[in-house]
Amino acid sequence: MRHTNAIAVALFLVVAVALFAFTPRNTELMQARFLGVIAPLLKNGSSLQKQIVGFREGMKTLGELDVENKQLRVELDELKAKDQTLQGLAAENNQLRRALQYRERSAFKLVPARIIARDASTWWSTIKVDKGSNDGVQADQPVLTEDGLVGKTTVVAGNASTVLLISDENCGVAATVEGTRERGIVRGTRTSTATAPDLTLGLLSKLADLKAGQKVYSSGVGGVFPSGVLIGEVKDFEVEPLEGTASVIPSVDLTTIEDVFIVTGGGK
Amino acid sequence: MIYLYLIAAQFLSLAVQEYIPPLPYGARVLLLPLVFFYAALAVPPPGMLLLAFTGGFMWDALVATQVVDGNLEISLGWSIVLYAVLGAIMSGFRPLFQRGHGWEIHCLLSGPLICIFVLSEYLMITFRRGGFLFPKIIWWRIGGEGLAAMIVSPIVFLLLHWLALSLGLVPPREERAAAQQA
Repeated sequence: MRHTNAIAVALFLVVAVALFAFTPRNTELMQARFLGVIAPLLKNGSSLQKQIVGFREGMKTLGELDVENKQLRVELDELKAKDQTLQGLAAENNQLRRALQYRERSAFKLVPARIIARDASTWWSTIKVDKGSNDGVQADQPVLTEDGLVGKTTVVAGNASTVLLISDENCGVAATVEGTRERGIVRGTRTSTATAPDLTLGLLSKLADLKAGQKVYSSGVGGVFPSGVLIGEVKDFEVEPLEGTASVIPSVDLTTIEDVFIVTGGGK
Repeated sequence: MIYLYLIAAQFLSLAVQEYIPPLPYGARVLLLPLVFFYAALAVPPPGMLLLAFTGGFMWDALVATQVVDGNLEISLGWSIVLYAVLGAIMSGFRPLFQRGHGWEIHCLLSGPLICIFVLSEYLMITFRRGGFLFPKIIWWRIGGEGLAAMIVSPIVFLLLHWLALSLGLVPPREERAAAQQA
């Protein structure tokens, strides 16, 4: 082996071994810095992609646009009506809580964020969003849409963040099942991806009588995810030797979402 | 200068691969390793190690290393070592690249090397999470990524090589062959 090659290998090994010694905190900081560097490129790429999609959608005929406009107006009216009803219910709920001397449940502080990249990794289900610590985002904050839970933030840079999706095996969410007293943990499986999410609700009682279609909500245990956020619905239930396990269909289509909300305060 | 060019290409490929939709079974088209394999053919071994470091570092920083609940899934640096090992294999075929058989070598080796890379990552997370699970979908995903790499590799190779030749960063084939003989 030539001298230069030997020196290069020695140097390489020293640096690689030094990196192995990085603590999780330092690793996270380094990842946040790198995400901050690459984020502008990802944002521009995302904008370009949107423009291309927007151009294709812009080719619609006037007739199609008219129909779509009418549908949207109807939906808007419905949502306004629902909003008014929900505001009334929220006020009534808070009054009742006060009456019961419970802590008044604070409203979620939501930071809207746009997805700038869907992760290209094989074994992890993550996305990148365009909001970071400059917008008050921190690690381990829940991310959701109007349809339900999406995941939680992990690496947070100044202008972007990485979100670990609920379809990832590492993202466990304490959950309850509608109409029952069953509690368990929802998590993705190892083969699960954002495009083919495969969620299981484990640690259930073997006697749990779950039916397909029952809604699964976060229970709020663990402190990361607020309670009452829809996760999905039960697909089927199986009894295993030690526990009951249900398959869950996520309420959010993780492949098509474009905008999400990060819960930065309250609601926990 | 060629190192700056290749590092920029690695950085750009990392961003671009985020926009490539997944293939069936969740397999992905991995561009950064393909750029690195080109680099392993185009530069001598010490340079390959430098680019293994930059490529592996970028991979760990954006893709592989996950810190969940304060725990590291894969330590920072593992991808760098993997890149270096795979780059060393590719580097062994450098004489053929010098003789002008670049894209064929790149295409034939990219598939198996990317399969090894992805399988190594899976083994590491399996070791970390426990449960030795190897359903068919895992093998389809690993094989699919290798196959996708082999299909895409000529485009990546020819694009990078054409740019490198145009910028004068890589000598033409005749000069490379003459230098090798000398």
